[in-house]
Amino acid sequence: MQQFLTQTGSNSSAATSPPASPQPRLRQQQAPRKERDPQNKEKEAPPAAMADEHQDLTRAFAGLGGLGVDETALVSALGRWRRQPEKRAQFRRGFLGFFSASAGAVAGIERCEDEYLLHLKAEFARFKDAAVLWAMHPWERDARWAHHVLHKAHPPQVLVEVACTRAADDLLGARRAYQALYHRSLEEDVAYRVRDANASLLVGLVSAYRYEGACVSEDLATEEAKALAAAVRSAPAAATKLVQNEQVVRVLATRSKPQLRATFRVYMELHGKPLEEDLAAEPCLREAVKCLDSPPKYFSEVISRAFSDDADRQAKAALTRVLVSRADTDMEDIKDAYARQYGAKLADAVAKNTHGHYKDALLAIIGK
Amino acid sequence: MAIITVPRVVPSPAEDAAALLKAFQGWGTDEQAVISILAHRDATQRKQIALEYEHKYSESLIQRLQSELSGDFERAVYHWMFDPAERQAVMANAATECIQEEYPVIVEVACTNSSAELVAVKKAYHALYRRSLEEDVAARATGNLRSLLLALVSTYRYDGDDNVDMELARSEAKIVHEAVRRAAAAGGHEELIRVVGTRSKAQLRATFGCFKDEHRGSVTKALPRGDDPTGCPRALRTAVRCVADPSKYFAKVLRNATRESAGTDEDSLTRVVVMHAEKDDMGAICAAFQKRASCTLEQAIAQETSGDYRSFLLALLGS
Repeated sequence: MQQFLTQTGSNSSAATSPPASPQPRLRQQQAPRKERDPQNKEKEAPPAAMADEHQDLTRAFAGLGGLGVDETALVSALGRWRRQPEKRAQFRRGFLGFFSASAGAVAGIERCEDEYLLHLKAEFARFKDAAVLWAMHPWERDARWAHHVLHKAHPPQVLVEVACTRAADDLLGARRAYQALYHRSLEEDVAYRVRDANASLLVGLVSAYRYEGACVSEDLATEEAKALAAAVRSAPAAATKLVQNEQVVRVLATRSKPQLRATFRVYMELHGKPLEEDLAAEPCLREAVKCLDSPPKYFSEVISRAFSDDADRQAKAALTRVLVSRADTDMEDIKDAYARQYGAKLADAVAKNTHGHYKDALLAIIGK
Repeated sequence: MAIITVPRVVPSPAEDAAALLKAFQGWGTDEQAVISILAHRDATQRKQIALEYEHKYSESLIQRLQSELSGDFERAVYHWMFDPAERQAVMANAATECIQEEYPVIVEVACTNSSAELVAVKKAYHALYRRSLEEDVAARATGNLRSLLLALVSTYRYDGDDNVDMELARSEAKIVHEAVRRAAAAGGHEELIRVVGTRSKAQLRATFGCFKDEHRGSVTKALPRGDDPTGCPRALRTAVRCVADPSKYFAKVLRNATRESAGTDEDSLTRVVVMHAEKDDMGAICAAFQKRASCTLEQAIAQETSGDYRSFLLALLGS
């Protein structure tokens, strides 16, 4: 979609990069009007007002830049040009990348691009997804997200997130919900379907029923920090990858969260850098450590990634997932973490990067 | 049906507590009185008696029992005082202390409970030891045994039997066969642990059935015998037996514990009888026992044990 939009904004026919994702960028579209005129050379040069209208309509219809759809703009767009099909045809011809005259030439129409349809569908669905997910029981939500990872190739990061950031009884509840929905246990499906190096870590994380008390042993923390360090050091030369290392998986999958945080702290004290830095080669492992150490910090990073220019479909869906699932738990901590890390209020960032009812829904969920 | 007999008109917890105090007083202990009360109360009633005792006499009933009684009798009564979930947590914890010998206990706890019961055991473990069972098992076992035990203990199996996939059962029977054949080699183990450690019991039983059809011998017979120092084959065999037919498995444990030739294994005897006296499957276990042995369980116990320990076990079994 990137290339489609640059074409509307400039005369360059070279679309060198394949569309990374069907996510158009608002910044590109707000190119000065002049750039768009070359497209319309064939027709009568539209007056300034017409070009303005085009721009508004384009913006409304493309659901541009950021997430969600500006329903108000769309509604006002729909009210224009009543009984003026020629103007709509002009709009279609000017809205390159979304409508293609060449593709539809055989039938004498400007055909709607399939990618554009999918893109619009995804954008329109964001509000629906937010609403439905908000209404669902948290355990059912988590079970469904887990199922998507296993059966719809969603990123395994989601599974790590669910397994590591939920309280012990909530993870158990999600596993029960998974059984009720799919008649198999979650660990059964994870063990059966995940066949790469991450399998043992994921099965371990998902099966955990951690002790929830605050009791922490400093000696144990030191011992296990050293064990983790040894594993990290020996990883490059070892036969199996770090994520398959028995000690690592054992510690991360069975110890209580307070105990693990103490272990991470000791690791930092001993080596002068946090454990995550040493896990750069193993994304699943790094995500697990981040989630276990500080969920609010992890979540604020996920949210920020959803706003970035090259966010893909999954990264954008993560925004809904995080905000809806944490609304009742640690939303305030996430707001603090976000402000600390990115110097902006979470609500402001959401308002800037999302549109329409989706935006209102998210702001309502985030709260004051 | 739980096999213990509770009197139709149960004295109040206060009366029981008073009677127990009377049994403790004076020289020695009136063990018969202790048995006649405690062996005929269910878990809720025992808890109430303990609370009442502590409230009225300012000491823990369990600790008093531990000091008044001794030997196998004391161990049996001590375990009996807990409710089923706590009891298994205590037994599992004791097993983790010397895990290389006692791992069958952990396998039993992990495989013969329903998923909900296993969660209750784990919750009780949290409350009693301020650590999780998984932590302790993982920290104390090593190698393949650890992977197997951890998988068995962490799993929350699907409890239903409505989703048995025969295609899957056939393919997993093949996997199990391959893994067992290459027993010593690495790699095959992971798949075996995956299957035995995550599939629902109904699915596993179907898989074992397919194995038997395909290879004319059960999985347990195919597993290597002999002394593997890791203990993994024996743990696997125990797990398979517990899933396939728990009553038969426990009957076998009781048989081995009461074998005339080898001396009595009181620990296993206590564990099984105290554990199952108030569960639904004691009747099935007694029946399975009688089928294999030439006598009833009560007769075997009467023959192989003595004194208050014997009286207590027989009282639990309702005779």
